[in-house]
Amino acid sequence: MLKDVTFGQYFPGDSVIHKMDPRMKLILIIVYIVMLFVADGIIPLMLGVAVTVFAYALSKLSFKLVWRCVKPILPIVIFTAVLNIFFIEGDPIFQWKFISISERGVITAVLMCVRIISLIAGSSLLTYTTTPIALTDGLERLMKPLAKIKVPVHELSMMMTIALRFIPTLIDETGKIIAAQKARGADMDSGNVIQKAKALVPILIPLFVSAFRRADELALAMECRCYRGGEGRTRLKQLSLSPRDWIAAAFMTAALAGVVLLNKFGPAVMVL
Amino acid sequence: MSKEKFIEANRISFSYPSYDGTLPHLVLDRVSVTIKEGEFLAVLGHNGSGKSTLAKHFNAILIPTEGTVTVDGMNTAEEGKLYEIRQEVGMVFQNPDNQIVATLVEEDVAFALENLGVPPEEIRRRVDEALKKVGMYEYRLHAPDQLSGGQKQRVAIAGIIAMQPRCVVLDEPTAMLDPKGRREVMSTIKQLNEEMGVTVVLITHYMDEAAQCGRVVVIDDGKTILDGTPREVFKNVELLKKRGLDVPQVTELCYELRKEGCKLPDCVLTEDECTAAIENLLKGGAQNG
Amino acid sequence: MADAIIRTENLSYVYSKDTPFEHVALDNANIEIEKGAFVGLIGHTGSGKSTLIQHLNGLLKPTSGKVFVEGEDIWENPKEIRKFRFKVGLVFQYPEHQLFEETVEKDIAFGPKNMGLSDEEIKLRVREAARLTGLSEDYLEKSPFELSGGEKRRVAIAGVLAMQPEVLILDEPTAGLDPKGREYILSEIKAYHEKRGATVILVSHSMEDVARFATHVLIMNRSKVAMYGKTREIFSRVDELVEMGLEVPQISRVFSKLRADGVDVPDSVLTVAEAKSTVLRLLGKGGGR
Repeated sequence: MLKDVTFGQYFPGDSVIHKMDPRMKLILIIVYIVMLFVADGIIPLMLGVAVTVFAYALSKLSFKLVWRCVKPILPIVIFTAVLNIFFIEGDPIFQWKFISISERGVITAVLMCVRIISLIAGSSLLTYTTTPIALTDGLERLMKPLAKIKVPVHELSMMMTIALRFIPTLIDETGKIIAAQKARGADMDSGNVIQKAKALVPILIPLFVSAFRRADELALAMECRCYRGGEGRTRLKQLSLSPRDWIAAAFMTAALAGVVLLNKFGPAVMVL
Repeated sequence: MSKEKFIEANRISFSYPSYDGTLPHLVLDRVSVTIKEGEFLAVLGHNGSGKSTLAKHFNAILIPTEGTVTVDGMNTAEEGKLYEIRQEVGMVFQNPDNQIVATLVEEDVAFALENLGVPPEEIRRRVDEALKKVGMYEYRLHAPDQLSGGQKQRVAIAGIIAMQPRCVVLDEPTAMLDPKGRREVMSTIKQLNEEMGVTVVLITHYMDEAAQCGRVVVIDDGKTILDGTPREVFKNVELLKKRGLDVPQVTELCYELRKEGCKLPDCVLTEDECTAAIENLLKGGAQNG
Repeated sequence: MADAIIRTENLSYVYSKDTPFEHVALDNANIEIEKGAFVGLIGHTGSGKSTLIQHLNGLLKPTSGKVFVEGEDIWENPKEIRKFRFKVGLVFQYPEHQLFEETVEKDIAFGPKNMGLSDEEIKLRVREAARLTGLSEDYLEKSPFELSGGEKRRVAIAGVLAMQPEVLILDEPTAGLDPKGREYILSEIKAYHEKRGATVILVSHSMEDVARFATHVLIMNRSKVAMYGKTREIFSRVDELVEMGLEVPQISRVFSKLRADGVDVPDSVLTVAEAKSTVLRLLGKGGGR
């Protein structure tokens, strides 16, 4: 359900992947994405897939989770595949009336699908193995240099933290508001689109009023705890890069280099 | 060491600014209270009596429109002293949900210390210590929304005591809790005062909570109407009832019986006192009759 | 049997069935509430009492078992479920969760409007509900958001009363209110109960309140119906209640102690007035038997 927003994505564990520094994970995921898009043949892309499989194995998470994150985007994958198959021109291997399918089209479609699925599976691994709070924290620290050019890095991360903190509370509250209005006979299931939209008003107004009140009180509580922005702030948790982070970085660099080399010198048959 | 005048409100008045030109309503009307260091004080009053407004003056959230408030000799109207005052006087609010900032219990308790720029190792030590004091150490890695109301309120208290304030002001901390949560929070508050020597100001409308404090100040209509030990205050059963407040059931029973001419002590506060007094009375009755 | 306005048959409810978070919130509840009763529903947070009341007006659909209102199985035709929400009015704890209109009048009218009543009828009902809850004419034009906590609660209750339900269920209507506000709300509920002959189910943590108003008491413990019976009968089982960790009225605890000490007092003294007359009677008889 909606509650999944904050914790449903994270699967607790103590694998190497779980223990990695969130900053390193964020950087490596970018390298990973670059790698997937640089790979322009079946063989180099297979190396990318191997990296994904290896990372999942290390995380000790079930491979079923791949299906879980891919399922929602399946329509997009299929749509992309169909577009590529039918609209990329080349030597036709199949022809019927105006429909023609080329070998190039099929290969491109397969490549695209593998690429998208790997992309989703890889980045989902990041959220599966990292708590939202660690992610926010990692992002804040990675972006810290941007504060020099007046990007409000601390404020953005504070906003993220508070949002994460209050999402479950507000979801819970929404449930209670819906119950209270239904108890007064509110009808939310029937009627046309306009009637349904109107039926939301008695839900949204109490929710907004409450959210504003919460914001007010939270601000006061923060002031009472001497909050005055990011300047001079220390943190309870220090992030530190351990050998495992550097090994992961070396591994990913090697994989990227491998892909580039395979692109250049790999069996030419599959190259587009 | 303990100061006779730790917090001193001297004839303070307060009114919220009015925007429509009407005469502003006086929420506090020349109130004077002096709080000793180490004291356990209850401010009792019904909703809208001005008790929360008074509490907000103790750590410079509000500045009196007239009169002065000093905390440990610092005038709360002096802006430069703001953070010093807030470090000395911590504040816990009514709604436990709306004062927890972080998504993890221990990170929330660390919040104030992070703001104050305390070194990480020191934060760790003080967070653990504060969590142990309120009995929430085992929950340090929980998300706040997995906790009960009473537990959240104890986390909020830990977040304040981690700052090592000398005084904690609690603004109706139990109003949104169930009986179990109320008991948990009350025993934590008492422990703060007794074991750590922290000055506690408890804003409440529950007379049974006020009865557990060392001193009770009753506020009504922006004025102090009673100030003394619980025994001295709850003696005034009629006055309290007239002002829309209650007294403990046992106090009321003994008061009513005294009115009927029974020989009972002047002001009974606890169940045990009441049981003993009635037993005595009935034995006496048996002898006389 | 025939008089039961609400009856449940082996009612069970399981949250998040077939997931690791599976939790039985209501376990085989069989209750029968007779028409015109005033039932006090008591239990800890998480005892299943909220789950139970949300079944009585069809907000939750039983995992297994049945709910009958006036002998009709409410889930026989799920499309008709709203009918039972008008018959069994449920007021939730926080008025903030339901107030949304620009004026108090419009907000109270929300329920009657959903019933499809005529404008005149709605107007009539709104006024009557407002009168019952002690909201004078000039309140009707006000915004519900500018009212005090106690007043908001009255508007929320009026919003349900305007549907003129035969059964009125209130989930902790007095939580967080001061003694004056509490007294006000409780006497309104009592008036509705008496004037309309309505059945009332009052969920409360306050045994004092339940002792004063309820004819029957229903106790929930660990997702099960632990006790149901006449108020006096239930409150005479003080020891069992204490064992469940429930708050027994202070006065009942005193009398329970007196009995334990060998003083011959009745075992179900619930209120201060009763305690007073009991003691006076014992004294009057010169110590009695």
